[in-house]
Amino acid sequence: MSSFGRILLVEDDPKDVELTLTALEEYNLANEVVVTRDGEEALDYLYRRGSFATRSNGNPAVLLLDLKLPKVDGLEVLQQVKSDPKLRLVPVVVLTSSREERDMVASYRLGVNAYVVKPVDFHEFVNAIKELGVFWAIINEPPPGSIKTN
Amino acid sequence: MKQASVEASRVAVPRKPRLPRSLSAIQRYGLAALSVSVALGAALLLARFHFRDVEVPLFLFAVAVVAWYGGPGAAALTLLLSCVSFDYFFVEPLYTLYISLSALPYFLVFASFASLVTWFSVVRRRVEAQLRQARDDLEIEVAERTQQASLLNLTHDSIFVRDMNDVVTYWNLGAQELYGWTAEEAIGKRAHDLLPTVFPAPIEEIRAELLRSGRWDGELDKTRADGTQIAVASRWSLRRDEQGRPVAILQTENDITERQRRMQQIRALNEELGKQTGELEATNKELEAFAYSISHDLRAPLRHMAGFTQLLQKSTASILNEKSQRYLKMILESAQRMGNLVDDLLAFSRIGRAETHKTTVDLEKVVQEALGEVRQDTGGRDMVWKVGDLPPCYGDRSMLRLVFVNLISNAVKFTRTRPQAEIEIGCLKQEQEQVVVFIRDNGVGFDMKYVNKLFGVFQRLHAQEAFEGTGIGLATVQRIVHRHGGRVWAEGQVDQGATFYFSLPNHRESNL
Repeated sequence: MSSFGRILLVEDDPKDVELTLTALEEYNLANEVVVTRDGEEALDYLYRRGSFATRSNGNPAVLLLDLKLPKVDGLEVLQQVKSDPKLRLVPVVVLTSSREERDMVASYRLGVNAYVVKPVDFHEFVNAIKELGVFWAIINEPPPGSIKTN
Repeated sequence: MKQASVEASRVAVPRKPRLPRSLSAIQRYGLAALSVSVALGAALLLARFHFRDVEVPLFLFAVAVVAWYGGPGAAALTLLLSCVSFDYFFVEPLYTLYISLSALPYFLVFASFASLVTWFSVVRRRVEAQLRQARDDLEIEVAERTQQASLLNLTHDSIFVRDMNDVVTYWNLGAQELYGWTAEEAIGKRAHDLLPTVFPAPIEEIRAELLRSGRWDGELDKTRADGTQIAVASRWSLRRDEQGRPVAILQTENDITERQRRMQQIRALNEELGKQTGELEATNKELEAFAYSISHDLRAPLRHMAGFTQLLQKSTASILNEKSQRYLKMILESAQRMGNLVDDLLAFSRIGRAETHKTTVDLEKVVQEALGEVRQDTGGRDMVWKVGDLPPCYGDRSMLRLVFVNLISNAVKFTRTRPQAEIEIGCLKQEQEQVVVFIRDNGVGFDMKYVNKLFGVFQRLHAQEAFEGTGIGLATVQRIVHRHGGRVWAEGQVDQGATFYFSLPNHRESNL
């Protein structure tokens, strides 16, 4: 495991952000996490606009996306990503509290790569985040053009 | 047209007995002979008393009488017999049939005059017979028409006829009852003056339609004799004469005021219903949004409570005393339990909202699947399973599976305290329209006093530490069974086990 992919976490709840980062820390993946707090900010990062205009080139290795977000919601972000030829290859994992079938169906229709319901139990939650982080940032070989840190 | 008689008794008009038909041949010729004899006798008698020249008028009279009653043939015989009698008894030489040349014109005049009388009589008779025939025919027709008119009076519908100038020519009893005008008042008046009418279309269009097709029907608003308004269903038929010219309109009408009022009511009720349905739909949408929001927003803080409590546990493991650690554990358990409640509640609300996909379901397979799922939780316990034959039924497979999973895991849970658990799944004697399935256990049972509470959401009959659970399982079972048009009930006794029953339709015709 010589390189980590960069993880873009889109999550508006600071407590969830903290829990997620705590879980990722255990595998030393937290440094490579970029946190955006709503859909607009996430798109700004992906398109290198606004406060992310000066960031280095390249797509994240994986996008961990909450569905219920201020301004631009998760499904809109997903749609935007999957309909843009430059972003289409970025793996997107929906990480949500919603077990609602329509959210699941809508996400898969839009081409999501995985759909994960956040478990209430912390152990399960930590395990889920860890596995996600390890799989997408380490095991999975991201598409060309993704940011990698050696 | 004559006003129809009202009394039904006049319907049957008795035929008048006809005058006796013409006499028979024997009678006619007998009459001829008799008349001549009487005339001759009278003439001879009068001659004896020295009355002169009465015999010819007497014989003429005889001929006239016979011509009238006996017809031309008998009259001819009378004429012949008269001539012979006259010649024999009154013409010189007496008592011979010799006719002198000088007497011949006399005979000819007599014969001609008698023939003339006969001819008049016969013609007169024929004319009279024809007249009588015509009168009889007329009587029959009048009787028939009177009968028909009386029949029209028997109908409940109002029937009237108006000519092409809108003047009423016939008015039945139904029309009198409906509109308040008697036939005497109505006949001869213009229909529109009698009954001011609101037409559903311009009258020219209605007339055009009537002339084109010979018929028209529609609903009219009319004003009655007493000024009240009435709605009628009206049917018009056009009558034409032999040349095809329209001559009259037959109008049949019946009162639909009440019907219209009812339809108005139905419309109003339908509107009200539509409004309520709309409100219900709105409420349903709100509930759905509520459930969605619970799914999203209620789970997040729970996750945070559990997550940070565990982080706290970890970081303070060496500092906190046993009591404090127990508190943390209880906080965690509560968060976990709340999480389960939220999940169960969401699942429950989903069952109410989800569409059912109904097919014919093999219940035995469904039970085997449910058993497979539940048995994983019976590890090491002594269980006796009895599964009877189950018929196929009609329903949503995955929902029915959930029913069995809930009921069987309930049975497993409440037999936990038994050294040997016995659980039986079977079907009551099949009824015509439905299948009744039961699940019986030898568990802790329940008090029938509380049977009504069994199927309520969050209702529990046992302490949490005795038997865990959120109280949503049986509510879910009930909701699914109700959505299938079935019924669910239970029987039990404390410490004597419990039996749960549910019925399902076994045919396709159930709704929902």
